[in-house]
Amino acid sequence: MGDLVQYLVTGVGIGCAYALTGSGLVVIYRVTRVVNFAQGSFAVLSALTVTTLLAAGLPHGLAEAIAVLLGGGVGALTGLVAIGKPGTTPQSALIVTLGLGVLAYAIEILLWGDQPRSFGGLSGSVTIFGARIQTHYLLIIGVTAVVLAGAAALFARTDLGRALTATAADPYAARVVGIDVLRMGLLAFAVGGALGGLAGVLVTPVQQVSFDSDVALVVNGFSAAILGNLTRPALTLAGGLLLGVVQALVGGYLSTAYQTEVALLFMLAVLIARAGRRDVVEAA
Amino acid sequence: MNLAVLILLGLSAMSVVGLSLLMGYAGQVSLGQASFYAIGAYTAGLLALHGVPTVVGLLAAPIVSALTAVLVGVPTLRLRGPQLAFATLALQLILLSVLGDADWAGGAIGLQGLPYLSVGGFELDQDFEYALLVLAGVVLVSVIARNLVRSRVGRGLRALATGEMAAAASGVPVGAYRLMVFGVSAAFAGLAGGIYAFYLGYLAPGSFPVLLSIEYVVMAVVGGIGSIGGALAGAALITVLVRLLTTLATQPGMPSYAPSVLSYAVYALLLIAIVLFVPDGIVPTLRRRSSWLASRRLWPPFRSPSRSSSAPRSTLRPSPPQPSPPQPSAPQPSAPQPSAPQPSRAQPSVARQLSPRGGSAASSSPAPPAPAAPSSPTTPERSPTAPPGSPTSPGTGTAP
Repeated sequence: MGDLVQYLVTGVGIGCAYALTGSGLVVIYRVTRVVNFAQGSFAVLSALTVTTLLAAGLPHGLAEAIAVLLGGGVGALTGLVAIGKPGTTPQSALIVTLGLGVLAYAIEILLWGDQPRSFGGLSGSVTIFGARIQTHYLLIIGVTAVVLAGAAALFARTDLGRALTATAADPYAARVVGIDVLRMGLLAFAVGGALGGLAGVLVTPVQQVSFDSDVALVVNGFSAAILGNLTRPALTLAGGLLLGVVQALVGGYLSTAYQTEVALLFMLAVLIARAGRRDVVEAA
Repeated sequence: MNLAVLILLGLSAMSVVGLSLLMGYAGQVSLGQASFYAIGAYTAGLLALHGVPTVVGLLAAPIVSALTAVLVGVPTLRLRGPQLAFATLALQLILLSVLGDADWAGGAIGLQGLPYLSVGGFELDQDFEYALLVLAGVVLVSVIARNLVRSRVGRGLRALATGEMAAAASGVPVGAYRLMVFGVSAAFAGLAGGIYAFYLGYLAPGSFPVLLSIEYVVMAVVGGIGSIGGALAGAALITVLVRLLTTLATQPGMPSYAPSVLSYAVYALLLIAIVLFVPDGIVPTLRRRSSWLASRRLWPPFRSPSRSSSAPRSTLRPSPPQPSPPQPSAPQPSAPQPSAPQPSRAQPSVARQLSPRGGSAASSSPAPPAPAAPSSPTTPERSPTAPPGSPTSPGTGTAP
């Protein structure tokens, strides 16, 4: 029982990171139709920035906040390169973001070296149902819940969110009613960057991060997002949590060696099951 | 620039030709091309370690890669665009993870002590011999790719790349063709992997990182997707560039991380710059520019039919590009009058009949796609030399 609870909580914690990364992908994809391959890089960049800021003596909280903002800024820059040039198709933009992800490698190695890094999170642990759980996992879950709820409110309740949603629904009609589609796209990239950065900042204390961690993150985030066909935030959250829990259970009861395979096979299964459906063809 | 670099360049080129075919003609972005390279390498390596003759291993490498691709492709090729990109990436991550854990594949250490390739008692143990082998491989792969592109299948694929629904409605077996290209592109990478295994003598999962797949994509995109010459040029350009930068970065005084930083930066910046500003890739753009220049200098009335798509296809077989004097003159009489005096020659020389420039058009238009980059810049030089012959030939043609 204790083991099970522990696996569940750590799985949900890691799953939150996947869900945040996936939500970033969804926000960007909905508004711009671009699958942002550099989504994992935001997380890595932000996490590595936190290590530097903490080493420079900034207090916890402030360092993380700055890093998340940086993630947003980097996201906007990514968007500028990926969709800023008129006439760039989503497929070209995908390859551009792939290039930006590789560029991030160069920058990360230049600034932080190629060794894994980490920083301390929330210390201490609590006991739930006989399972000792690092408090940091609870922090991850709490922050993710608040942020995703906030994002949902942003999209549903504010003018800005409605403008983003309108752009997602029909860019042409959005332009007709006076919405700057490009600016909305850049904004979506900024939000996606901040979400990705948040994922990295939250998960690094329990999982080391190195310059090439972004591939695992973006693939898992994409797996989560594809469950919702890259457009449904709620399903993305569910997908991320499911993925995290399944990985934790497989790692706990079978072998950690199979963790990656499980996540990837899950994604492939969902992809293939969805591929026959009409909406995917249109979305792609 | 030593032989080892050339060999690796050739191996990359073989994989990239396959990837370029897949991206350009099946419209699929694959981020897992290196996995087929790995499968080919491990096939050859495992067979060799179990006492199978090395030639058999080398032949098995592309076959196993292609079969794996077909097996994997049946479900995954229903995916489009970004989905397929992630699916192929996922497949490569799975493969790397499996190879890293598998005892039969040596785990993370990999396979060591592979024999050299030996053909009938002759052992290839020199770099030079492998360079020749790789060259043969590149030629083989290019010829297969070109023939595939110019066949009925190739036309179907081109239709498929332009509009899938229209192609399907016109009777192109979309799924089967797509699967075939996927298999062929995997076979190319598998063959390269097989050669790599025998050349290097050891294999490890770490030799086939995801970044290698991305590198292939960069090469294909930079050279020009769907262009065989572009694939070769892209592979050559990137390999040489990265090699130069590595040499530069390993100079004394440079930090230890300089080589990786520089090569990542080059991949990234080239990829982004090419996608945004030269979206067709270097070779097709150069070729278009050169043919544009050529068409400006040529005799205007005759330029449009010569570049019709039928010209390169049928004139490819007579491979000597320099037209011998009797060759242009023979079909010339038929140019103004469709009723050719020699019915036996009529079929293969359709393009020459279409193009009043005669052999010159036939030689200048198929020339660019054939070898690597250097050929395309030469086109404008060769073309201006052609018109002196061509304006006279219609004259001689109409005289009788």
